[in-house]
Order: sequence, then structure tokens, then C-alpha cells
Amino acid sequence: MIEFQNVTKRYPGGYDALSNVSLHLAEGEMAFLTGHSGAGKSTLLKIISLIEKPTRGIAQLDKINLKTISRHRVPYLRRKIGIIFQEHHLLFDRTVFDNVAMPLIIQGYRHQEIAKRTRAALDKVGLLNKEKSMPVTLSGGEQQRVGIARAVVHKPMLLLADEPTGNLDPVLSREIMQIFLDFNQVGVSVLVASHDLILIDELQKPVLTLNQGKMIHNDLNRDQYDQEVGGFRSPQVNEFSTGNW
Amino acid sequence: MRTSNRRRGRPATSNKLVAYLLHHIQSLVFSLGKIYHSPITTIMTVAVIGITLSLPGGFYLFLKNINAMSGDIRSTTQITLYLDIKLSEQKARALERAISKTGNVVSTEFISRQASLQAFRETSGFGRSIDTLSSNPLPHTIIVEPVSSADTFAVKNLLNALQAMPEVKIAKLDTEWLERLYTILEIAKRSVVIVTILFSIAVLLVIGNTIRLDIQNRRQEIIVTKLIGATNAFIRRPFLYGGIWYGLLGGLMSWLIVEIGYLAIAGPLNRLNLLYQADLMLITFTFQDFIILVSSSTLLGLTGSWIAVARHLNQIEPT
Repeated sequence: MIEFQNVTKRYPGGYDALSNVSLHLAEGEMAFLTGHSGAGKSTLLKIISLIEKPTRGIAQLDKINLKTISRHRVPYLRRKIGIIFQEHHLLFDRTVFDNVAMPLIIQGYRHQEIAKRTRAALDKVGLLNKEKSMPVTLSGGEQQRVGIARAVVHKPMLLLADEPTGNLDPVLSREIMQIFLDFNQVGVSVLVASHDLILIDELQKPVLTLNQGKMIHNDLNRDQYDQEVGGFRSPQVNEFSTGNW
Repeated sequence: MRTSNRRRGRPATSNKLVAYLLHHIQSLVFSLGKIYHSPITTIMTVAVIGITLSLPGGFYLFLKNINAMSGDIRSTTQITLYLDIKLSEQKARALERAISKTGNVVSTEFISRQASLQAFRETSGFGRSIDTLSSNPLPHTIIVEPVSSADTFAVKNLLNALQAMPEVKIAKLDTEWLERLYTILEIAKRSVVIVTILFSIAVLLVIGNTIRLDIQNRRQEIIVTKLIGATNAFIRRPFLYGGIWYGLLGGLMSWLIVEIGYLAIAGPLNRLNLLYQADLMLITFTFQDFIILVSSSTLLGLTGSWIAVARHLNQIEPT
């Protein structure tokens, strides 16, 4: 699903946000991305979500090269991803339902289909009764769940989350993480950037750790580059380790 | 849940077309709704467009009226042919018939030497002195009226052709004042073109600026929709429809302004008609003029918003 080979991202001024990062997240796999602020987590997610382009190295998403992809194909590749932001990026001028339905409207689904899927996504995050509410009337945790519903409503192959529990209390955080686990359970690849190490520890999933732009710990690193792409199997949760932490 | 369902759930091609059209309609309604919900901005923008376009519109109408009046003048344009004095009346009448059949001539009138002399005697006051002449010094005369659609150039050509006839001694057309009028009209026409171009650019800028502000206000929304996979065409659409609405409403407003101006002038003009027993009919916009005004205003709206969108939408990228 995600394939990075010696990816370096250098910003103007010579600062390397990522240097020689390699990782391979197979289809249906789930992993956590950790590290201090400024370690390069956001940059890595930005490269996958086509916000930034890598300076060097090969970055692929669903076998498509993220460096050479043409501008007009970017939206179509983004439709394969569901992105969950820390500040959830909801639009406050429309209802919860309309926020969640946006990816489906963009992709040209039919009216009935939109209603059906949007309600299913809201149901999944436990907010079906709030579909007519305005986002501003919801609590922080509810807003984050609306963001998740929007990210999954079009059934993406990959879920990316950038600090999804950053502003939430432990109980809510656990609920949010459980939603990710549920999606992973049905075959969606998930990559979550988080520094909530206690929670990550509980969840028993592979961990990637970045430090100053370098990958210092990689549970996914199992010489996968020698194998044929696609020959990779489901994640081995037992291999989990907390690494250097 | 995922693998099989995912494929089946994707819209089929025919559904995609329906969805595409549906989104156009949605954008149309959505942009109208936005206009409705921000009435102050809308009214100001529409008023600026309406007032701006009413100037070339009113100028055009004014010119159209002048043109119609000058058309009346042109239809009374006459060429007077003074024939060779030795030409017999029979031959002169034959010539008149021949001329009446040529192109660009609507009618001819024959005035014989005798009739001319008679008229001269009666109107000039030189009756006595004319009687002292041994012979009639006046030639046969033919008055030629060109068709009213003939312009200066065609009338000139006709004049030259008539002058070239051996039987015609002098062909006379008092063209100087007519030429002056046509020149003034030509200047006015070109001024209308210049004014129209300048004011159209002004409308483009007004609409472009309004849409630019709209884009900036909805920056967050644009970024989010880009991140969830919206194409530029999708994001562009509501803004373009917004421009179309502004143009359409502005065009209607300018039409209204010109019509009100017309009504304001109509009263005194009718009095003037009575006083002079003249037949000055003010021409207002025809249905065709109305359609042209409103559709070109709408087109300006679309173009203005297109320029703004092309300039500013690409600059907004998620970071």
C-alpha cells in the first residue's frame, strides 16, 4: 500500500525533514507512527497524502509514484485515502451530514447512495442521531468522530490520521483508536501518527519511530524489499515492541 | 464489507453523467443560495454592474434613435438632374423612365422646362423680367430619390453615374451637411464601441474581485475539498455559477435602469412632438437587444469569475 525507499524530504534552506526513510505498509496492515514534534511525522504523512513531494528516493502509494504523479491525477489518488486531521477540518457552515457526505458528492455518487453511505458512516462512529446538527454544537470528541466518518465514508483503501487523539481525554482517545482498529479489521490499511505512547502500547500494532527525520525504529522492517510486492501478509501483531521508548 | 462492496458501490458511467449534471444543478442552486444569504454584497455588486452597463446600454439606445431619425432624413435626400437644354421633352421623359428603373432609385419626378419657368415666375418675383427673355433659359429637370437604405457611399456612386450620362448637364446633391451628420454618427458609434469595451472590462474587474474575495473567504473549504479528492473543475464550478448569477442580475438591472431613463425622457419628448407636430418616436430596447444585453452581461460574469478562479484557485493548496 505504502512503499518508501530511502525517501528524503529537504525543505528550502537545506533542512532535512526526512532523511533516507524506508517503510513498507502492506495492504490491510495497521501501524503507528511516533516521534517527538518535529521528528518528521507530519512530513511523512504529507508525502503520502500528496501535499508534499519527496526530494529524493522512491515514494509509492498503491504502486503509483508520488513524485512523478501528474497534477490532474492527484485528486483521484487522494480519493483512495481517508485523512483524519488533528484539527478535524470540518466546515462549520453546514450540517454534520453534509460534512460527511462531501467525499461522496465529490466523487459523483447518486443521491440515494450518498444518504445511505453517509448514515452508515455516522452510525459507525455513533453519531447517527447528530446528522442534522451543526458541527459547532458538538463536543471535541464528537467533532473528531465526524472527521473520521468523513474520512471513511467513501471506503478508502488507506486511512491516515495525524494526531487524531491530540486534544482528547484518555477515554475518548481509546474510543477513537477502537474505531481505527475496527476499520483495520475489515481490511483497510491504517497509519496513525500519534505520541500517545501509553495507548499505542495497549493496542499491539507495529510501531514506526522517527527521530530528527530518521527512522530509528521500524516494526515493519522485515526485508520486505526483497520480496515480491503483494506477497506480503497480514500484520503480525505479536512482533510489537515499544522500541527505544 | 470492503472488497466486493467497494467496487459495486462505485457509480456506473451513466450514473456518473447524471451525477455530473446533478452537481452542475447543485452548484447553480448553491451559488444562488449564497447570493441570497449575503444580500448586501450581492446588491452592491449587482448595482455596480447594472449602473456600469447602463451607460453603454443607454448610449447605444441614444445612437439607435439618432440613427432612426437620420434614416428619415436620408429618405428625403434628392438628386436634382439638370438636363441638356437642347434635349427634347420626349427624350427627357424617356431618360426619366430609364433612370427610375436603375438600382438604388426609389422614385423619380420629371419637371419640364415650361413647368419650371412657370414655377419660377410665380415664386421668384422676377416674373416681369423673365418675360423679357427671348427663350426659356431653364432646362428639363429630373428629381431622383435614392432608396432610403442607401448610405453615403451608395448615394455618391449613384450621383456619379447620373453625372456621367451625356444628357445630364449637372447632377446636384447637397451632401455636405449629410456627410457631416454621418461623420458625427460614425464618431458616436465608435465612442459607443470604446465605452462598451471599457465598461465591459470594468464589469470583468468588479466580478473578478467579488469572486476573488469569495475564494479567499472560503479558503478553508477549498483546502478541505482538495484534500478529500476534489478536482479543480469541481471546486471551480460554484464560483463560476456565482459569476454567472452576478452577470445575469447585473444585466437585468442595467436594462431596468435604461428603461426607467427612457420613461423619464418619454414625457417631455411627447410634448415636444405635440409642439412641433413632429413624428419623433423614441425607440426602446427590442426583445433582441434585451437578450443581447443580458446574455453578454452573463458572459462577462462567467469570464470575470473564470479569470479570478484561474488566478487564485491554484494558489490555494493544502500545506
